[in-house]
Amino acid sequence: MKRVTVPAMLFATVWQLGEAAVPVLMGLAIDRALATGDVGELVLWLGVLIVVYVALTTAARFALRLTAFAVQSLQHRLRGTLSTGVLHPADGAARAPDGGVVSVMTTDVARLANGVILTIMPIARVAAIGFIAVSLLTMDPVLGLVVLIGAPVAVWSMGVLSERLSRGTREYQGLLAATVGRATDLVAGYRVVKGLGVRAEAEATRRYRRASREALAGAERNAGLLGGFLVGSGVITGVFVATVMGLAGWFAVVGRLSIGELIAAVGLTQALLPQIESIANLSIPNLASARASAARIHEALPSSATPESGFFDAGPLPVLEVSGPGTTVRVEPGEFVGVLTDDRSAARLAGALLDPWAGDEVQVRLDGLPVRESSPAGYRSRVTVAPHRVTLFSGTIQDNLLSGTPGQAGAGPEGLTHAAVRAAACDDFVAGLDVPVGEGGNRLSGGQRQRIALARALASDAPVLVLHDPTTAVDPVTEHVIAGRLRDIRQGRSTLLIASTPALLSACDRVIGSAR
Amino acid sequence: MPVAGGRETAAQLWRLSRGHRLRLAATGVLGTVSTGADLIPPLAIGYLVDRVRAGTADPGTVLTATAVMAVAAVLGAAGTAVTIVLATRAYHAVLARLRERLVARAMALPQHLVERAGTGDLISRTSDDVTAVADAAPGVIPALTVTAFTIVVSLGGLAALELPYAAAFAVVLPVYVLAMRWYLRTGPAVYRDERAAMSARAQQILESQRGYDTVLGFGLAGQRHRAVMAASWAVVVRSLRARTVQSGLSARLNLGECLSLATVLVVGFVLIGQGTSTVGGATTATLLVLRLLGPVNELLFVIDTLQSALASLNRMVGMITTPVTRPGAGYGPTAAVRLRGITFRYDDGPPALDDVSIDIAPGQHVAVVGASGAGKSTLAAVVAGIHPPGAGTVTRPVRTAVITQEVHVFAGTLRDNLTLAAPQATDHDLLAALETTGTTGLLDLLPDGLDTLVGSGGHPLTDAQAQQIALTRLLLADPELAILDEATAEAGSAQAGPLDHAAGAALAGRTALTIAHRLSQARACDHIVVMDQGRITETGTHHDLIASGGTYAELWKAWQAGQPR
Repeated sequence: MKRVTVPAMLFATVWQLGEAAVPVLMGLAIDRALATGDVGELVLWLGVLIVVYVALTTAARFALRLTAFAVQSLQHRLRGTLSTGVLHPADGAARAPDGGVVSVMTTDVARLANGVILTIMPIARVAAIGFIAVSLLTMDPVLGLVVLIGAPVAVWSMGVLSERLSRGTREYQGLLAATVGRATDLVAGYRVVKGLGVRAEAEATRRYRRASREALAGAERNAGLLGGFLVGSGVITGVFVATVMGLAGWFAVVGRLSIGELIAAVGLTQALLPQIESIANLSIPNLASARASAARIHEALPSSATPESGFFDAGPLPVLEVSGPGTTVRVEPGEFVGVLTDDRSAARLAGALLDPWAGDEVQVRLDGLPVRESSPAGYRSRVTVAPHRVTLFSGTIQDNLLSGTPGQAGAGPEGLTHAAVRAAACDDFVAGLDVPVGEGGNRLSGGQRQRIALARALASDAPVLVLHDPTTAVDPVTEHVIAGRLRDIRQGRSTLLIASTPALLSACDRVIGSAR
Repeated sequence: MPVAGGRETAAQLWRLSRGHRLRLAATGVLGTVSTGADLIPPLAIGYLVDRVRAGTADPGTVLTATAVMAVAAVLGAAGTAVTIVLATRAYHAVLARLRERLVARAMALPQHLVERAGTGDLISRTSDDVTAVADAAPGVIPALTVTAFTIVVSLGGLAALELPYAAAFAVVLPVYVLAMRWYLRTGPAVYRDERAAMSARAQQILESQRGYDTVLGFGLAGQRHRAVMAASWAVVVRSLRARTVQSGLSARLNLGECLSLATVLVVGFVLIGQGTSTVGGATTATLLVLRLLGPVNELLFVIDTLQSALASLNRMVGMITTPVTRPGAGYGPTAAVRLRGITFRYDDGPPALDDVSIDIAPGQHVAVVGASGAGKSTLAAVVAGIHPPGAGTVTRPVRTAVITQEVHVFAGTLRDNLTLAAPQATDHDLLAALETTGTTGLLDLLPDGLDTLVGSGGHPLTDAQAQQIALTRLLLADPELAILDEATAEAGSAQAGPLDHAAGAALAGRTALTIAHRLSQARACDHIVVMDQGRITETGTHHDLIASGGTYAELWKAWQAGQPR
């Protein structure tokens, strides 16, 4: 990282010094060339002006690009850490992350990485402030001191004024977000509203209008605060600059400053304010938000990795045994076993198979060995669990089907894919496998999504496959078709079907009914 | 969904600005005057320089100049602030009207139009576009009012001072125009790419989070990690490109600055040599140009925000100006439904409904059974009036309500959810309705009863609970015809009973069309219609169909064989 940030800081310093030097240069040019009428001097100062601009432009370009590169590559690396640590833990046994992980991995990572700029720009700005200070002090010590003490005071008072404004702004942004959220919510329930008719349409519109009016009132309040801040900061800057100009003018009258120095002093004072302002208004808040984000990221990361323990030594087609309170389910190699139980027990059973390391109510064994005492990798290479809640990933149908066959992406057995598509009765809507499914599969209906998910599970050709209510959104006719095809495709493999639908259970070798 | 052209958007905004126009005009005048105050400090300094050089300056001159500058600063700041406040308020008032009309129109649009474009388009217009326009305000408003006025007034000041200075600045203007044109050609596409890559990245992260169980169950961690990182890297590449464009713009602006300052020096040199300008005049010109540079840069940097806000406005206005045509025809005087020779196809596809005729007497319950793709949902949509049929006639009662498989719990209280279609309903009515549909058990589970916040961010509800709420809402809406399209599909066996009971209670006394998911639902209806490939193949009562030994009888046999004993 230092290989990028140190050069970036040096370039940024050159850039800021160049910006601060421009008013000084102009003052000198007026003094030496315009006031004297010397052509040689004019050419000289024009040349200096151009050289300074070329230097500062070049430096700015490198500084900006290097900074962007540093920020972006840090973001990317942080995201990689979070991805393996939180979102896709390698041991596969960590607690499922909540929705907050999205904002941690986008907003917080971006804020923390922006902290990198703090090691670049403020240092360059401090250098520029130092240059301005030295220039003013060499012109006139009194003037220099007034500016150097006055400018921070001016900026500090603006900071005080802006606090109230930023609080108001946050408040308003919250209101606006709520209004937008309400619109999104109403529109997401569009079909429900339309299904209820004109009266519901009117009511939904009325509710949105109410939220919108609240946001408008917030915007108006905030505009008032903004106005107050603008008056305050404008008066402070204006009076400060006028005072310095008056002082410099007075020194020019009494002969302590030349005309060129007068112009340079005015220019430098004006250049000083934005420098201090940007440290106060950008760097300090940035530091605070980078710190807050760092804390959130730290919290999201697991404190320590679960130690890998034990080597799993089950056969390629192992005996699966699940025992919970009141139930024991045993699946022999090659068997197709159904489990019929109430929703709650079914969910508990499926949950335990999905993550045998969580909870201790249900015990999962492979070939008689408790899974909990072994490594997740061994279990997952033999047992694939298709959860009830369907998630398809953006991409084509093919991408989704191959995602069920780990390590074989792109090289999956084509025959099996097609057989899986047929077995899950997707043939009526799957014209080609390279059709995109949309975000989260939103181009497909609920029933279609569920059937693609079933096809994905079947295409995985897992030694042991656990299916949990795979056809709840599928109509009875199609379900009947699926039931007839499931057995064939799972021939020679073990399957555990947790389902409540009779049609599907009729395909099983045997059905275990647990106490209801 | 259509996108409005610039002219149409302007006309619409003009209409929406009614009631704010006088204020806007006052803003313009005030903005010009208050930025005029900004001219005073450079003039005062220039005046001072000339007096010092002439040796006629005394403490009084300095004091006067300082006082004038301070007063000008205070007046300028106050005027500028009022200008921005007025403009901001008008901006937000117009935006509020715009977004309210947008949502009203979204709700009133014929559903088939929205279905064709996808509700995603609707969501992005009511959320992303509204946010984009609102977020543009802090940058765009000062730029369009104060900054633009500052440029105009400073140029005017330069011209008044000594015409050649303004002319010199005009010579540099093409550099700025070219910079702007380059930026507008390059910038927006690059930023669009960056934003698209960012939302793709968020989508990948979200999918991994939502599909955590799937990732776990299929052992997809490595693959999903690679997908997220690929999306992350795509953002890195595009962000760097965007920053490169920005630094390219900065470089071009620097060129403009350098040329402006050099020109002022050269013109000043010549004019002073000719005796038509003084050193003080050149000083004022330099200070004016120096203070002009900031606003010019600000304006150019805000142009792409302005552009994307305009694009959002065009999308919002495009929807507002879409005509709403409510199908007036098709309503019958009674609660009966009558379909004659209905044919319907999606775009140019094969007929989804082919010559379908159905009669449902008032109060009769009809079930539709068939494989997926048989046309059941299309039939429900045509009866509901969502899709206008290609051929044939539909007659249905005015008050028709539909419940689809898509359950949505609105963010708000349980009461808000129930009163959506019955705003006048009292708590007593709500409790009675919950009682009727057998949903009172839900109330005991919720911490604050009817006041419990549900939906996104609120108390989580299962799909079965959400459907019970939907059925209770249907009861409160009290339609003559109720259409249930797979309304209880998500339920497992344990929930099927209560939901069937709730559906039965909600449908009692109404005409009903049920797309049956479980055959037990079909059996409960007065009449059953079996569909295949868009046609009705069998019709009759449960017992008729069993006796006739057709498709339905076969399905029933399979269904019964699988029933738990």
